[in-house]
Amino acid sequence: MTDEAIKKGPEHTRRNFLTATTALAGAAVVGLPAMADARKRNPKRGGTVRFGTRDDSVGLDTHRNFIYFVSHPLSGLVGGLLDFDAEMNVVPGIASEWDSSKDLKTWTFKLRRGAEFHNGETVDANAVKWNLERIKDPKIGHSFTRSALSDLERVTVDDKYTVRCHLKDPSAAFDSNVIYYPVNLMAPGAVDKADTAPVGCGPFKFKSWKRFDTCELVRFENFWETDKEGNTLPYLDGMIGKPKKEDRVRLTALRTGEVDLIDNVAYADAPSFIKDYGKTFDTWPVPQVGTAFVSFNLKSGPFSEKNNPDALMLRTAAAHAIDHQAIHEAIFNNQGQIAKGFYSPSSPWYSKDIVSWPQYDPDKAKAMRKKAKDGDAKILIIANDSYPYMHQSGELVHAMLKDAGFNVVFEIHPTPVIQDKYNKGATPGQWDVDSSANSYRIDPDGWFSRSLLSTAPETRRRHGYKNEKVDQLILAARVERDRAKRRQMYADVDSLINKDLPLLYTHFVPLLQAGTKKVHGYKPAFTGPFQYAGGGLRTTWIDS
Amino acid sequence: MLAYIIRRIAHLIPVLLVLTVVVFTFVELLPGNIIDTLIGTEGNDDPEVRKILEKEYGLDQPIYVRYAKWLYRAVQGDFGNSLVTRRPVSLELLSGIPATVYLALVGITLSMLIAVPLGTIAAVRRNTPVDYTAQVSSLVGISIPEFWFAILCVLFFSLYLGWLPSSGYISPFEDFWGSLQFLILPAAAVGFRQAAYTTRLTRSSMLDEMNKEYVDTARSLGLSERKVIFKYTLRNAMIPTITISGLQLANLLGGTVVLESIFAWPGIGRAIFEAILQRDYPLIQAGVLVLGVIVVVMNLLVDLTYRYLNPRVKLG
Repeated sequence: MTDEAIKKGPEHTRRNFLTATTALAGAAVVGLPAMADARKRNPKRGGTVRFGTRDDSVGLDTHRNFIYFVSHPLSGLVGGLLDFDAEMNVVPGIASEWDSSKDLKTWTFKLRRGAEFHNGETVDANAVKWNLERIKDPKIGHSFTRSALSDLERVTVDDKYTVRCHLKDPSAAFDSNVIYYPVNLMAPGAVDKADTAPVGCGPFKFKSWKRFDTCELVRFENFWETDKEGNTLPYLDGMIGKPKKEDRVRLTALRTGEVDLIDNVAYADAPSFIKDYGKTFDTWPVPQVGTAFVSFNLKSGPFSEKNNPDALMLRTAAAHAIDHQAIHEAIFNNQGQIAKGFYSPSSPWYSKDIVSWPQYDPDKAKAMRKKAKDGDAKILIIANDSYPYMHQSGELVHAMLKDAGFNVVFEIHPTPVIQDKYNKGATPGQWDVDSSANSYRIDPDGWFSRSLLSTAPETRRRHGYKNEKVDQLILAARVERDRAKRRQMYADVDSLINKDLPLLYTHFVPLLQAGTKKVHGYKPAFTGPFQYAGGGLRTTWIDS
Repeated sequence: MLAYIIRRIAHLIPVLLVLTVVVFTFVELLPGNIIDTLIGTEGNDDPEVRKILEKEYGLDQPIYVRYAKWLYRAVQGDFGNSLVTRRPVSLELLSGIPATVYLALVGITLSMLIAVPLGTIAAVRRNTPVDYTAQVSSLVGISIPEFWFAILCVLFFSLYLGWLPSSGYISPFEDFWGSLQFLILPAAAVGFRQAAYTTRLTRSSMLDEMNKEYVDTARSLGLSERKVIFKYTLRNAMIPTITISGLQLANLLGGTVVLESIFAWPGIGRAIFEAILQRDYPLIQAGVLVLGVIVVVMNLLVDLTYRYLNPRVKLG
């Protein structure tokens, strides 16, 4: 423990002495569980967690680069206008209060006083304005980050601690777009160091970064968040990110004690790891880091209505040929759940009212394929090589469609090639079926408006789906304040998707995090992020 | 000798020029480009945004203009900035080169330390159990995939015995003894595989040399067997071994993507591999150029070594 930690250590305060003695007395009465609770209430300040992650950021400028909140160590240094909790609800961040106008076109954020960037600059309204405008600059902002602010027309400053966002179109989802992922805030005064030593306002500050090797972050002493007892968070002195791309390499590093925490245990290893090492290591199942699906090219080829009057029949035949249970067992090793919509039962946006996709029925699939025009056409299935489950699902879909008599070929490509194929998707032969996935969206508008609304750039670029009813529902949901009504609207959209089949949801992408018993107070948010309001690495401490 | 070296270095220039043209053209022919990478999978497909980005990254100019500009800067030692990380390309490469050089040099040294004695003994004691053991060992070494051997090493030495760390890297300039702990397993994985090839080569070269007349002459003059083998035969037999080891070293200096992934070794191989995936043109071009220089320089060093081993060899 450092001198600083000893000075600040809550174990030396009167309050904590009383907490500890109370806990001991409780333990005498009710036994060890109460003692464990006492320990939870009495975290130690200090220590450094070594975190083995699957991935790493490509660069340091947190606006130019995508900083993935599940497995990029750098996301420990970013903070946002708003924050989220363990259940992925939007909660106060730098802004302690926020509200929208009646027409949902103006959002006002009241900033917390005293919040600072890591270099001591105040996080005030001008800094927020500067950040949002920088992200919106197409020469600077990463496309994904920028797309979160696509509705934002301009930002005005009312006073030092009040900022107002004026939108082009009404949106009930704007608050979820200004959490730290992906819209994070960096210190305007340190912009010249953005590519070498970024300065954010998150719980940890930057120390060093060597891509694919080490990312060292240290505690930001003036982070605004405190625990229930008023101690500043985070408790840790720092975190060292150790990106190790291969799942087995990461797991071995955990087992040999080279890291304390890993973000992803391979699906093949997860059940046996829990069984064999559950007593040696803690594990945290993440039910839905994203949703996997198979999309069809509706811009050209046999699945497109433009070329084939029986395109829907052919897509339905393909859906009948795909055995979701086989994907669940063979690819995800019985981890997670089969997907009938974008949100899993763990999500607050889950709905039971979604009408399912066509059930697995190979005989029906064969009959429909034979009956449909172009049932013998050559079909190209593509999959991205980034994540094994994507191309493994693609391989399985290839085998299933082949069993149903489809004339299929399968190709695995890196992201630039896949994107090139999307861009040229209107030309026949580029792709017909794509095994893919999308990460969890805090607000459903982030998925439906980006990937299924017919006017969305991504919809046009990829499958080209258009259904006026779907468009109406998505646009109506965006301006609906009532959460239950919105949930129903999105359920209706997913029911239509399962009928029209521009894509076929296959599986929720699960994840298993694991750590040594030395790590205390840690739990990822339910979709995997490792730092969030009141949890994750902010409330973690570690035995020396 | 000096004239020869200068001439060889002069030959390097057209080779590298052709290499840069080929790399530029090939990268251009690859499907997808850096703008697609920057736009991402959920980005804005607005043509105006694409134009802005193309201008920002200089991709609105014809390829020959970009090539000429790049070459002009490259000859001055400026490879520009990475389009993805925005850091200087030279910094990106330099951050990976020390780890790669460290692993390659130790790996190849280990390979030579195993292969030369083993190949020599196998040849001298031909058709004895020692020879059979050497031959079977090298056959096994060639047959086992490098990554599989590496994983076995990790499982046995890190997980089972707990003697060595399973992955990671420490610079020898920061902590020499600490760095050795991280180096042993990857260097063994590299060294044993290369040693398998080199042992077989050394053995066959030795057998060729031992059948030559100068060896009989040396023996008839009453020289000791040790002197005949180590002073004359081995020296001549080393020429093909040095050639192959030089090429192996050049290959290793180009990076070993699989081993770097298994051991989380931050070498140049993975950096260039990622650059190719992201279509980071300046980094790919500079990386390939550096690798080209390494191969040509290694060939030059091998040629110079011939001269040292056998003074009758005429350079040029």
